[in-house]
Amino acid sequence: MVRLIAVLAALAALLAPSGFAGRSYAQGPAPVESELNLITPVSKFIHDAALKAFADYAKERWNVTVKVSAIPAGTPVAYGRITEWKGKPEVDIFWGGESALFEKLAEQKLLQKVEISTAAWDSIPASIGKPKPIPLKDKDGFWVGTALEPYGLVYNPKRIQRLGAPEPKEWEDLLNPKLKGEVAQCAPTRSSSSNATYEVMLSRFGEDKGWEWLARLAANTGHFTARSRDVPTVVAKGEFAAGFAVPSYMAFEEKLAGFDIKFVAPTYAFVTPEPMAILAGARNPKAARAFIEFLLTERGQKVFMERGLFPITPKFKVQGVPGSTAELAVEFTGGVRSYFDREVANVYDEAVAAKRSDALKVRFRSDIEAKWEDLKKK
Amino acid sequence: MLPKMPRPRALGALGVALIWLFLALFLVYPLTRIFYDAVTDEAGRLTLANFAGFFTDSFYLRALWKSLVLGVATVAASSVIGIAVAFLLVRYDFRGRGLFSYLTLIPIISPPLVGTLGFTFILGRAGSVNVLLMDLFDMLKPINFLYGIHGVVLVETLHLFPMITLNVVDALGKIDPALEEAAESVGARGWKKFWTITLPLTTPGYVAGALLVFIWTFSDFATPLILGVQDLLAPQAYLNIVQFVDRRIFRMGIVISALMVFLAVVFLLVARRWVGLKDYSSLSYSVVARRRLSPPRQAAAVAFLSVLMLLSFIPYVGVALASFSRGWALTPLPLSYTLQHFERVIVETPKYIVNSFLYSGLAVVLCIVVGVPIAWILGRSTMPGRGALDSLNTLILAVPGTAIGIAYIRAFHFDLPGFDRGLTSYWIVMPLVLAVRRLPYTVRGAYSSLQLVHRSMEEAAASVGASGLRAFRDVTLPLIWKGVVVGSLFSFMTSLQEASAVLFLALGGWEMVTNGIFAFYIAGSSSEAAALGVILIAVAALSVVVINRLAAGRMGGVFG
Repeated sequence: MVRLIAVLAALAALLAPSGFAGRSYAQGPAPVESELNLITPVSKFIHDAALKAFADYAKERWNVTVKVSAIPAGTPVAYGRITEWKGKPEVDIFWGGESALFEKLAEQKLLQKVEISTAAWDSIPASIGKPKPIPLKDKDGFWVGTALEPYGLVYNPKRIQRLGAPEPKEWEDLLNPKLKGEVAQCAPTRSSSSNATYEVMLSRFGEDKGWEWLARLAANTGHFTARSRDVPTVVAKGEFAAGFAVPSYMAFEEKLAGFDIKFVAPTYAFVTPEPMAILAGARNPKAARAFIEFLLTERGQKVFMERGLFPITPKFKVQGVPGSTAELAVEFTGGVRSYFDREVANVYDEAVAAKRSDALKVRFRSDIEAKWEDLKKK
Repeated sequence: MLPKMPRPRALGALGVALIWLFLALFLVYPLTRIFYDAVTDEAGRLTLANFAGFFTDSFYLRALWKSLVLGVATVAASSVIGIAVAFLLVRYDFRGRGLFSYLTLIPIISPPLVGTLGFTFILGRAGSVNVLLMDLFDMLKPINFLYGIHGVVLVETLHLFPMITLNVVDALGKIDPALEEAAESVGARGWKKFWTITLPLTTPGYVAGALLVFIWTFSDFATPLILGVQDLLAPQAYLNIVQFVDRRIFRMGIVISALMVFLAVVFLLVARRWVGLKDYSSLSYSVVARRRLSPPRQAAAVAFLSVLMLLSFIPYVGVALASFSRGWALTPLPLSYTLQHFERVIVETPKYIVNSFLYSGLAVVLCIVVGVPIAWILGRSTMPGRGALDSLNTLILAVPGTAIGIAYIRAFHFDLPGFDRGLTSYWIVMPLVLAVRRLPYTVRGAYSSLQLVHRSMEEAAASVGASGLRAFRDVTLPLIWKGVVVGSLFSFMTSLQEASAVLFLALGGWEMVTNGIFAFYIAGSSSEAAALGVILIAVAALSVVVINRLAAGRMGGVFG
């Protein structure tokens, strides 16, 4: 009889989804669970690589096969789904987007403290940038930065040349009349990079002048994309000549795919720490913690450094052998190897941004989206 | 003693009850739920404020107006093309007619999203055509063929005109030649005969097709979004719902979805009323004598059809080129070719394909189990509630997929009794939603062939003592299986292509090919999206070949 039960149990273990099997039958307490799920606006190019690197690491380190998966979702969607899950999340980790949203989630008790090792936590400076500092980790311990990523502008050199415009270097260059109908951007209502860069313009010029500037940008805009990731795509293809508020790695991904596209981080380009947090009620908290700690090691940071992102700690710099993708990334992003050995000019104020976030979207709808057809005629 | 066998009649009643339960649970309840959401506030109080918000917002009103205009324009454009093609194919004989009648079906299998991407690769601002034109005429800026509402009309028309063609072909095939001969005998020829006799006789088929084109265009959010048109209802519903941050706007998305369902139902009722009054067609197909065209006219017909086919094949050419190319930009054709995109979608991420076939397969099984009995109830029984059943079945065709997807999320997120998660946490929700969405094709397929089987055969079976169920199994089913297979294949093919509802419901690991297309597209890898698109096109094309063989061109009924 006992034997029969044992056989049945073994059968059940075989038939059950791997997640259950791992939890119920592992010998002793496993260092990490055998599953890890993310929801993230960080695109596949980065999150796939990060998850795969972690799975390899977990296999080597603990001999645990971690089944990794990600739900790709724009920042607002990800945020919305997390609130809809009401503390019973389908995933363990939320990664990317504005840190302001992480604060909001923490307030709703939808996050748990990351509680990674002190060494890993302390390796990340508290903030970067002047005159306004950009926090790189949460003072209350609910989120932690993973990589630095500037939101810049992109252009298609062939199209720019044909239009007879100078290659854009600063945000103002996108207002060039020769680029009329040639700029692509994503609405700030749908993209955190766009939202942050709109916020930068409002902080630079003040509300009224800022919206005037953004209206002029809309007048030059030929296409509002559905997602921020589409902006570098349509510019790389040459559908439009230039793009606004593009994360560096998205542009670099197009470069690696064989397209001729250029990236510039103009003055006051916002630099995001790509925050990461563990959701309250996560089913795999240990794997989540191990994932974060892994990303902060040199091996983890390399995943980013080879893909057009920058280390979150001064300990590392983007470098590789000549001709490596890391070196290509340095060249692509204008020679930057680390954001810690340069001045980062920043006017984006997190507190102001968090407060203004809803108003910004409302005003975008009424002053830009609803009037775009008229603005274009100017 | 053996237990008493359940009587067939009781079994039948149980079956009918189960069918009603299925429809009530998975169609009526979720739809009711979004109407409930649309008329309540965050605290659950009844309110009309949401609708008031919609109807006082000039942006949304413009979206409503533009959506209606878009629908009408697309129906007009696809009617002109669709009817012309149908007449050419049914009434005239010319070189290549058989080939063209097959090719006409192809535009319909254009996969979601990548189909539109395919257009941008060829007709976009940096598409092959513009690159050639700009080099040829030294133009500073490209011609804007696509970005804007005119582009949406172009893309939708070239995609959907076969829906009209199929329905009109079907209707033309059912016209009793005697009617037209009678018209000719009293002197009505040419255009007069066309306007007074032929066109009215094809009206029911045409209206069914036009309604589908209208609702499809009305509820398609992906095409306008790619073409940069956001002030339409469907994109607004989608965008508002997928951003959950602002609860007010989220609710507005639900309100728009509810409004779209409501409008779709209104259009449906109006169309049915109209068609119901004018249904003169006989049930059986008649043999049509085709007129041989004179050589110059023949050349004109072939030229028209060739140009049309060339235009409708633009997305396929674009998708195919993109799927094999690397870094294709600003050249008429790609400069470097690769198989890496296919490798990535087939070898590295086979889950998309596996899931698609698994879920669509299961969905079809459900479609048959539920749909064939529904067809029998509609076609053969005198059961009460038949009208309601028929309306529900047609309603499904009219409900936008986005609305169904969001309705499921809202309706099935609560914990199931005995489980610690809701239905939306289990993958079975995917085939379920597919089955519900694609049920009408199976029902129509079975129903239309049921109509061609004379009742007397079943009566004969009954007269020798066979029960209803037994007569159905032994007599009816063998006679209608072709219709069932055709309908089911249609359900299968369209399930594979379903993008709107499953986009909302898929969790990590459940992604279908269409989710993959969106995921790759969103991730900026439109080449991988194109590779998945090519796979979808191949499977769909194969299904069409089989359908065509089995149905011999008489598949219009499936759509109507």
